[in-house]
Amino acid sequence: MSHDLILFDGVSKFYGEVLGVNKVDLQIPPGITSLVGPNGSGKTTLMNLMAGLIHPGRGSVFVRGISPFAPEKLMRILGYATQYDAAPRGLTGFDFVRAGLLLHGFAAAEAARRAEAAIATVALTHAAPRKIAAYSKGMRQRIRLAQAIAHDPAVLVLDEPLNGLDPLVRAETIALFRDYAARGHHVILSSHVLQEVDVFSDQVILIANGRIVAEGAIRSVREEIHEHPSQFLLQCRQPARLAALLFEQADILEARIDPAGSGLRVLTRQRAAFADAIQRIALSGVVIDGVLPMDENVDALYEYLIGGGQ
Amino acid sequence: MNQIAIIARLEIRRAFFSRRALWVYLLALFPAALFLGRGVSVNYDRREYAAKPATPAVVLDRLPVGTTDAAALAAAGPPLRDHTWKRAQTTHRSLHYFDGSNRVWLQFENGALKNTRRLPLNSFDQDLRVYAGVFQYFYLRLAVFFGCLGIFINLFRGEMIDKSLHYWFLAPVRREILVLGKYCAGLIAAAAIFGGGALLSFGALLSYQTAADVEPYLRMDALAHGFWYVLAAVLGCAGYGSVFLAAGLVLRNPIIPAIVMLLWESINGFLPELLQKLSVLHYLQSLCPVPAPIDPSAPPLARMILSPAAPSSVWAALLGLVALTALVLWAATRTARRLEINYGTE
Repeated sequence: MSHDLILFDGVSKFYGEVLGVNKVDLQIPPGITSLVGPNGSGKTTLMNLMAGLIHPGRGSVFVRGISPFAPEKLMRILGYATQYDAAPRGLTGFDFVRAGLLLHGFAAAEAARRAEAAIATVALTHAAPRKIAAYSKGMRQRIRLAQAIAHDPAVLVLDEPLNGLDPLVRAETIALFRDYAARGHHVILSSHVLQEVDVFSDQVILIANGRIVAEGAIRSVREEIHEHPSQFLLQCRQPARLAALLFEQADILEARIDPAGSGLRVLTRQRAAFADAIQRIALSGVVIDGVLPMDENVDALYEYLIGGGQ
Repeated sequence: MNQIAIIARLEIRRAFFSRRALWVYLLALFPAALFLGRGVSVNYDRREYAAKPATPAVVLDRLPVGTTDAAALAAAGPPLRDHTWKRAQTTHRSLHYFDGSNRVWLQFENGALKNTRRLPLNSFDQDLRVYAGVFQYFYLRLAVFFGCLGIFINLFRGEMIDKSLHYWFLAPVRREILVLGKYCAGLIAAAAIFGGGALLSFGALLSYQTAADVEPYLRMDALAHGFWYVLAAVLGCAGYGSVFLAAGLVLRNPIIPAIVMLLWESINGFLPELLQKLSVLHYLQSLCPVPAPIDPSAPPLARMILSPAAPSSVWAALLGLVALTALVLWAATRTARRLEINYGTE
């Protein structure tokens, strides 16, 4: 049993007749992992299975060696900001975070200190004494995040954590995720904002209809997709000449001058041969300012593997 | 223990002050209001009759059946009220007297004394029996029952409806501890509300009795009776609370467990002895200090339902109730371990 992985072993979950997830095998290493998939694909089901809010009908889940059937152990290392909007009635934001810390066994003063720090991290100090029932959707999102991070868990599970955050808090929150990941922690999150996922994810898990479509680092996942040729933007001042050279030296499917005038757009299935050709052409004296992969991002993976734009 | 205390502390405010709890307070305070009202009525009658002339009881008792109304008037003097009416071919007349402590009605048919009805302004012994009846037939069977339904079934079910149960499931707390913490919160609230209600109603019962009646009672039985009534109410909360907490873990509709439990408790009196022991009411009735009266003129079905089961000794009742509660709570903790958050689909 690995103590630094999150493991799903043949996990299936049905809600009556409705499929949640089916035959999921995953080994999630530390770092930032994004769950990407359309609504109803099973992202929240996976997260709830990790946190023990639901139990698998078949298979098993272990989070850093701990079964979700032991919440008294699991929740000491896991913080989960769910998509569920409600909090127990009558609690203020401060009480909400502090009560969780008291249940962790922190002394009252330490619980209060940690609650204040977590609330400050999500920039909600001004609203901490107010009842959560009076919070806006974005504020509720932030107070849930504060509660999830307050005990400094090794595994942070976040369902759509960036929804409702203003740009400044969003940037700070992403920095927080990076800090967690840099310390060897797990950050598992779902997001619909694929451009953002691109920026901060170490790996992605693409899920559709309850099945894992692909998992791994974005580039390695892209390299496994053979039916779609790779797209590159070659930044150069002589796109026509470059196109001619490429057609001579590499297996190019298509080359088009970029309408924005920034260079040449190329489609190829032979990435390695293409890379060698680019190197030769550059060494021959043709100036190439940059080679940008155009579909090594979650957006493209999503479109190729799941279909439909986001 | 610390976690149980924290959970109970967080939950208790909700159990006491939720808007849903208003009718629980009404149920708990109803007997107290009833006996306070009775006290107001008795005191009013006392003041009213104190100002009226009294006819010696010996004069009224001396009038045999068949005495004419004219003879009765001549012997007893003018009545407080004289009421005549006719039904079919019979002329009825009622002469109302007061003998100093009882209200007396001489009832005539066609001018001849048919019977004498006597009602004391207040009878402490009768009030004690009425209180026992109200306590067992209304308070334990209905008020505590439905009050606990309202408090305990919402401990889990209410949070499922509010979509806030995940908050607890995401705490590093064993589900067994969570069940016990919430149960403690419900029990403290229910015990305070219904134990307090029992104490208030018992106090209301004593508040309007005459010193001659109440002083010997206070010296002899009052403390013990009050204690057992309050204890029965509190243990009722413990027993019913465990059942409804468990029901709230598995059922979303509170009507179903309420009906099933109410039926079970109602037919308990004529179940085999072994099954009788699986009833909360069975034990509670054995703890009540005064047997509840049953009106012999009540319909047979009502008499069967109201008849208490075979009584247990006080210790057997206490141990039985604690054991029954522990058994139900154990089953609830087993259920809670497998409980999932399912507010709806993703």
